[in-house]
Amino acid sequence: MKVVKRIGILLGVLALCGCSNAVTRVSIPVKVESEIDITRYSNFAVLPFVSEKQVERNEKLPPEVGEEIASILRRGLARQKHFEVVSTQETARMLTGETVEEDWLTDTKHLSKLGEYFEVKAVIIGSFRFYSDSRPRRYYGERYSVRRQRYVLDYQDYMQKTYLLSLRVMIVDVETQQIVWDQSYRRSTAEAHTIGSFIFSQVGPQANTIRELGRRAVSEFTRQISPHYESEDRYLVN
Amino acid sequence: MITVLRYGQLASIAILSCWVLSGCAIISRDVTRTEAYNRFAIKAAEAQLWNEAVFRWKQVIGIDPEDSKAHNNLGVAYEALGNMDEAIAAYQRAAELEPNNKYYRLNYRRCRIHLRRSGGNDEDAPQLEEPPLTK
Repeated sequence: MKVVKRIGILLGVLALCGCSNAVTRVSIPVKVESEIDITRYSNFAVLPFVSEKQVERNEKLPPEVGEEIASILRRGLARQKHFEVVSTQETARMLTGETVEEDWLTDTKHLSKLGEYFEVKAVIIGSFRFYSDSRPRRYYGERYSVRRQRYVLDYQDYMQKTYLLSLRVMIVDVETQQIVWDQSYRRSTAEAHTIGSFIFSQVGPQANTIRELGRRAVSEFTRQISPHYESEDRYLVN
Repeated sequence: MITVLRYGQLASIAILSCWVLSGCAIISRDVTRTEAYNRFAIKAAEAQLWNEAVFRWKQVIGIDPEDSKAHNNLGVAYEALGNMDEAIAAYQRAAELEPNNKYYRLNYRRCRIHLRRSGGNDEDAPQLEEPPLTK
């Protein structure tokens, strides 16, 4: 009787094992469509980005930074087969004598006229804010104490300097004078400094940092408005 | 006479057993074949060889049209290849065959979400609740 019971339990366990489904997770490529109507907005003029002047914390930046961000965006968009972009040289030539000001961001009528002049469907314009935030930090670690003959808790003070870039990108429809895209992208990066290197960083050039942060922010925008592939998980049942 | 009867009974039992066993063997051979195809197709899918995987899962469905696993997996493969209508149909069939399987429902729901995100029309598709994924 005992043997029969054991066999019954064993058979039950085996049956349960057989009934369960093993699952394999796989990543599949899924096409993500553009968040704008790319059949309508197929060619753009990208105007130089403007620095937001009202913000007191804005770092002192060379004036060509806005144009550099715009050229990064132009290059990114030109790589997409769905878009045509007015080249940097052509934009500079057509904007000769004009300076892109912050009040242009709200003047969609003027932007629309510029778009007609550029012979494009939409104009991309935007502003940026770049600033840094420094805070003292303490790093805790261990060091070997010869006197105590063991590892002891130790710390080191340093300055953490965080650079922040807030980039606002707008797309203005030339025909309807409507803003069809208005989004901000925030990117940051941090550096650890000793007192000496911190002082040097305060006076040193920051063009590379802003360029890198600008590239990251712009690539996010380009990704959103271009059709692209993402990977998603699905379950295959064995 | 008793011996003859016993022999007769034994013979009939033997014939019956042979018949049952051969039936089981045929079924198990088919099951083994479909399992082998499924395993192979999963390996192909893991290597991103989706066309090969589709071919194998279609073979499985050819052998056993009610194999819910094959329908689900075929749906995944179709989705990976961008054939969304076929993917939806395959997921629906899998969910019909095994309505309580959380993975089929999850795949189906994710496919529909993706379809909606990419601007496709999935209004005709039946609604299924996404179950919590606890394994």
